[in-house]
Amino acid sequence: MSGIPVTMDSPPPPAAKQSAQSRVRSFTRMLSTRFYVSATMVAMILFFAFLGPFFWGVGEPKQIVGGLYEAPSRELILGTDNFGRDVFTQLMHGTRSSLVIGVVAGLIATTIGVVMGLTAGYFGGVIDEMLMGITNVVITIPSIVVLILLSIAVGTKSIVTMAIIIGVTSWPWTARAVRAQSSSVRNREHVDLARLSGASTVSLMFWEVLPYMLSYIFMAFVLQLTSGILQEAALSMLGLGPSNAVSLGIMLHWSLLWESVRTGAWWAFIPPTVMLTLIAFSLFLLQSSLDEVFNPRLRGR
Amino acid sequence: MSTFQKYLLQKSFWFLGAFLVALSLNFFLPRLIPGNPVDAIISQMTQEGRADSASLQKIYETYMAEFGLDKSPAEQFVNYLGKVVRGDLGTSFARYPAPVESIIADALPWTIALQLPAILLGWTLGNVFGAIAAYKGGWFDRGGFVASLVASSIPYYCFAILLLYGVAVKLDWLPARGAYSFGMYPAWSWAFFNDVMDHYWLPFFSLVIVFIGGQAIGMRSMAIYELGADYVDYSHGLGIPDNRIVRYIFRNAMLPQVTGLALSIGSLVGGALITEAVFSYPGIGTALFTAIRQNDYPVIQGITLMIMVAVLLANFMVDILYGVIDPRIRAAQSGQ
Amino acid sequence: MKADNISVQYETRVGTPVLAVNDVSFHLEHGEVLGIAGESGCGKSTLAAALSGNSASNMRITGGTVSLDDTTTIDIVKTQGIPRDWRGSTISLLPQRALNALNPTARIGDYAYDVIRAHEKRMNRREAMEKTGERLEQLGLPTRVLKSYPHQLSGGMRQRVVTVISTLLDPDILIADEPTSALDVSSQKALVLMLQKMMNEGMLSRAIFITHDLALLSNIATRISIMYAGEIVEENTTNEIIHNAQHPYTRALLAATLEPDPSIRNITIKGLSGQSPDMQTPPSGCRFHPRCPYAMPVCAQKVPGATPLGSGFARCWLLDGTTEIPDPIKHEEVVAS
Repeated sequence: MSGIPVTMDSPPPPAAKQSAQSRVRSFTRMLSTRFYVSATMVAMILFFAFLGPFFWGVGEPKQIVGGLYEAPSRELILGTDNFGRDVFTQLMHGTRSSLVIGVVAGLIATTIGVVMGLTAGYFGGVIDEMLMGITNVVITIPSIVVLILLSIAVGTKSIVTMAIIIGVTSWPWTARAVRAQSSSVRNREHVDLARLSGASTVSLMFWEVLPYMLSYIFMAFVLQLTSGILQEAALSMLGLGPSNAVSLGIMLHWSLLWESVRTGAWWAFIPPTVMLTLIAFSLFLLQSSLDEVFNPRLRGR
Repeated sequence: MSTFQKYLLQKSFWFLGAFLVALSLNFFLPRLIPGNPVDAIISQMTQEGRADSASLQKIYETYMAEFGLDKSPAEQFVNYLGKVVRGDLGTSFARYPAPVESIIADALPWTIALQLPAILLGWTLGNVFGAIAAYKGGWFDRGGFVASLVASSIPYYCFAILLLYGVAVKLDWLPARGAYSFGMYPAWSWAFFNDVMDHYWLPFFSLVIVFIGGQAIGMRSMAIYELGADYVDYSHGLGIPDNRIVRYIFRNAMLPQVTGLALSIGSLVGGALITEAVFSYPGIGTALFTAIRQNDYPVIQGITLMIMVAVLLANFMVDILYGVIDPRIRAAQSGQ
Repeated sequence: MKADNISVQYETRVGTPVLAVNDVSFHLEHGEVLGIAGESGCGKSTLAAALSGNSASNMRITGGTVSLDDTTTIDIVKTQGIPRDWRGSTISLLPQRALNALNPTARIGDYAYDVIRAHEKRMNRREAMEKTGERLEQLGLPTRVLKSYPHQLSGGMRQRVVTVISTLLDPDILIADEPTSALDVSSQKALVLMLQKMMNEGMLSRAIFITHDLALLSNIATRISIMYAGEIVEENTTNEIIHNAQHPYTRALLAATLEPDPSIRNITIKGLSGQSPDMQTPPSGCRFHPRCPYAMPVCAQKVPGATPLGSGFARCWLLDGTTEIPDPIKHEEVVAS
């Protein structure tokens, strides 16, 4: 008997094309208001941090422009801090430092996490057990403590050093998640096919497994970035921030040390507080709106 | 050996490993500080004119002996382990000759009294809200979700600062500093207790509210995931009443949250350090803040060690508890 | 039992609902097993979900009534499914993914107790355990499973335990929704034998068996309905469907699934060229016409009525006496080409 017992007219060709178009359309439709709101917020923050100093900068961030804790005025719209420096200028530079630290730390953490997770998940067996053993030990040791010890050990540090310190301590979550994903992707048929056609292990991991996790890895990166920014702020508040730089955490550290909260100098601590919250909120919102697109169970709620 | 014993043994093994790693980190990382920490602290003391040269010499010898800086790193590490086991964490630089243990012992009760209730209450309320939001859906879910997203994306220290300014400074409803009033002395009296409670609410709520938000978000997505599980459909099809099905969902969604509790104890203790510093609450966090400002390495090291041990123990206990309540974990982890 | 004019749709975020089941009616007598077959996406599982009161959150029943032995007729639109006290005791479901159907953190016995308690308030825990244990023994399963968690049982055993739980309250009707699709061949056979034993011993009086596997249906069903794109296109006794199918779709399906070599069987269902239609905008007239080799102009214009065929019917313009058949068709011809 023949393999194809029923012969029928071939399907109308426009169907496939149409479905590709409608897939793009339904993707953009699934991007909720939540996505547009958060993306706009992120864009505005980026503009403020990176282009703001060209428009509204009042000299260098360390430049003393007035007396101690001068209230906001027409010239200095957010007043001065405990050394008489312009808070608005500092806020722009501080936001930029925080974002840079977050992005660099996020990239480092995501890269380490993906390499660890992909290797463990792809090879399985002993390699998997070893890598996940390391990951589990690192997860149980509270990262803030390691951060404190590392910061003390390093002593004087630049913004990038700070980012590296944060990056190398926060990869385990990504590693764990990527491992789970890659160990399921590696069993799919297309991976077997590529393996049979003689692709090398590295190219299999890179071209056959990794692409199926890109959306997932991107979301992990957004989370790592957010937590990197928050961890920098926490460390800096404790007095372990980057030396000779302004970041949102360092502004808060000064507020704590110089009692701006209890003396009522709100312009010195409210701006960095609000900025940190805005950054964290918009990034969480962005992440959750993307999650909704990639993870259909959460959709339509 | 029973499944559970195997599970227990395996977990103990892992935690012993993690504990060793923690101890080594705690020992070796501060050793990387450029220069000799004892020289640094002595020169600082000399500058501040805090001691004459004779006593400086004595202080110098005390620290050199304590750190064993003349010995090899391996001997130093063994020496350190021995001291840690005996509960000897060294002598403070800034508050010489106060031992680090006593500084920690003074601060620890305040921290525990502040954080433990906050963690437990935040965790419980967060889970209940999250589960209800997932089950009810609709406006409760949407409103609650945005509220928890806001609550959990405000970094706890930012929230603490805003609360301190709004409630204590601007409105002047509650005291703005410390754990009790300046003129008070700790005593078993109603007056002292009331004073302590006045100082307690602000740091307490600043921790609880943020924690509820984070927990509720986690529980909500776990519960949504469980709602779509096949057993929910099947139970529904067998006519099992809704409240019983909700109980299944709650129980099953709750299990990962228990691990969440262990892990958040770690991050929460770390986070609450800063909350304490914001409120000048006389716990571990404020002690750490002060020690960092004064480069008081023995105290910093003592505090980080203590936090690590506490977090590891909490993790261990939760893992055991998890093994007791979830049959799947026990089976999966002992390779059954 | 009679089910009339059942229509079900899924709400989508984009707006246009997916019309998964459209105006489906059937009846089921005592002692009968009605097989419902069709490709995946034809609406057979949706029909099962609607009838067992097991609706997904975005599923909406837009029409239909269900009556048991002409005594009570219920409108399943108002209640969005059958009432709770019917579920499990009057109409029960044997689910598609039975391997995950049990609550992972409840022992089998405790879960069975919850099921019994939901319908028989007066029964206590010990009695419920006894009843479940007896039933397990009757069907040749070990009673120790009462104390087991689902993850401790093998796949085939879990499937049989689920079958026991689904029929624990001696339901009038059992709806089995592709219960064999995830099983290996020997577990499939064990399950079918177990269902037959239940029928013979009166634990079960009638059942609806949904599957894409016509070979399996030919062994267990007394009558078969063929569904395509949310509608029943042909229904008849098993013998008539297997040996004398009239609808072109039924014939294509038979040719594809009764292929003896299982490795070819999976490929040949794709040999039915074209895809199942997009149910947001189903084709006009006969829904099968875009894929039908015998399509005529009328097929795209008007919905074919049911042409009676012995004790069954089929919906196709070829069978309607008023239309001139362009090309005589024979079963052999379709199969052979």
